[in-house]
Amino acid sequence: MRSRLPVLRMRRRYIAFELDSEEIVFPKDLAIEIISCQSSLFGDKGASVNRLKLISFDGRYGLLRCSYSRIEECRVVLATIYSITGIRAAIRVKGVSGTIKAATEKYIPKLSLSIAETSAENDGRRIELEGVSGWIIHSHGREIDLSPDEKNRTKGSDTRYLGLTCFDLCGGCDDADGTADGLR
Amino acid sequence: MNYFESCLHSLPEGSDSPSRLALVARRLGYEGIIICNHIGFEKFFRPDAVNELKGIKVAFGVEVVANNPRSMRSRVAAARGRFPFVAVHGGSEETNKAACEDPEVDVLFHPEEGRRVLGIAAARAAQMNQVAIGFDLRPLIHLRGSSRSRWLEVVQRNLILARKFELPMIITTGSRSHLDIRAPRELRALAEMAGFESCETEEALRYPARVLELNSRRWAGPGVEIL
Repeated sequence: MRSRLPVLRMRRRYIAFELDSEEIVFPKDLAIEIISCQSSLFGDKGASVNRLKLISFDGRYGLLRCSYSRIEECRVVLATIYSITGIRAAIRVKGVSGTIKAATEKYIPKLSLSIAETSAENDGRRIELEGVSGWIIHSHGREIDLSPDEKNRTKGSDTRYLGLTCFDLCGGCDDADGTADGLR
Repeated sequence: MNYFESCLHSLPEGSDSPSRLALVARRLGYEGIIICNHIGFEKFFRPDAVNELKGIKVAFGVEVVANNPRSMRSRVAAARGRFPFVAVHGGSEETNKAACEDPEVDVLFHPEEGRRVLGIAAARAAQMNQVAIGFDLRPLIHLRGSSRSRWLEVVQRNLILARKFELPMIITTGSRSHLDIRAPRELRALAEMAGFESCETEEALRYPARVLELNSRRWAGPGVEIL
C-alpha cells in the first residue's frame, strides 16, 4: 500500500537532459528505450529499486525522475542509449535537481527548438567539396548534417548523415545558414 | 579539468569532420580531443578547419592496425615522426605483446578484442616501456546481453592486471560520429560501471594530455631531453 507519510516517501531527483538525434523521436519510444536499457544493464531487481519515469519530453529537452541515491546509475543508463527505434541518438545530461520546477528553470531553455525545426527533410541546398558531396538535411548554428551522395560514406558509424561545420566549407562563415563558398 | 577524449575517428573513417567532433566535444566539457584514424585512413578531411575553433585543443594521431608484429613495428616507426600520438589496435596475443615491447607506442587499444586477456609478459613489457592500456567503452554502449557480459569480464581481468603492474590507463568511447561522444561525467560513470575506481577514471581522462605534452618535447634517447 502506498504510504502517505512524507517521511516514508521515496526521495526523488529530476534529471534534465537534451536529446541529440538524427530524426524526430517520440516520447513513448524514448520512455520504452530508457526502460529497456535499464533492464538490460541492471536487471529486474536493479530496475525495481530505481523506478525511472519520463516526466516530460518536447522532442529535444526532457525531464526524467529517478531515485535520490541512484543518479550515477541513471547517467550510465542514459549514456548506453545509442539508437531509438532505429534512429541514431545520444542523450546529454544537462543537470540534476530536486524539484521539477527547479530543473525546468535551471536547465531547460524556454525557447527550445520545436519538433518542426528538427525535421529531417532536404532543405534544397547542396554542398560539393573535395571528397564529400550531398544535400543539407539540417543546419543549426555552425553544425551541418549532410545526406551524402555516396551512401556507404557513413557505413562505419551507423549514422545516416555526415556531420560537418561551417568551418569545413571553403573560407568558413559565421553561421551555416548563411551563404558561403561551397554552399549553393 | 584537462580531460581529453583520445581515440576519435573522423572522416573518411567515421562520419564527422574533425571540426564537428571538436565542436561537440567542447560543448560537452572536454579540454581537448585526439583524432586517431586507422593507418590507411590518416588523410584527414579538412584538418585545417579546427584552427578556427577556440577553446579546445585538437591533436591528430594514428591508430596502427597490423596483421603481424613485424608490420606493426614498421608502421609505428613510420608514424612516430609524423604524429604526436601513436596508438596500436591490439587483438591477437602477438600484436598485444609486440605493442607493449615497443617504446615508440603510446597506447595499446582494444587488447581484449580477441576475447583474450592481456598476458603477464605483455603487461610487464608495457610497464617497462610506459605503454598505456586503452579501454574502449564502445562495446558497453553498443552491445547487449551475454556478449556485453563477456566483454565486461575480459575488461575486468585486464583491469586487475593493469592495477597489479601499475600501468597507465586511458578510457575512450572510440567515437566514429558526434552521436557516439559522451560527456566526461557520463564516461566516468560508464567506466565505474565496468569496474574502474573513481580516481582511476579521473587519471585515465587526464593521461592523454600528459602524453601529448611529453611527445611535444625533444628527446635524444630514453630519459635524455634536448633543452
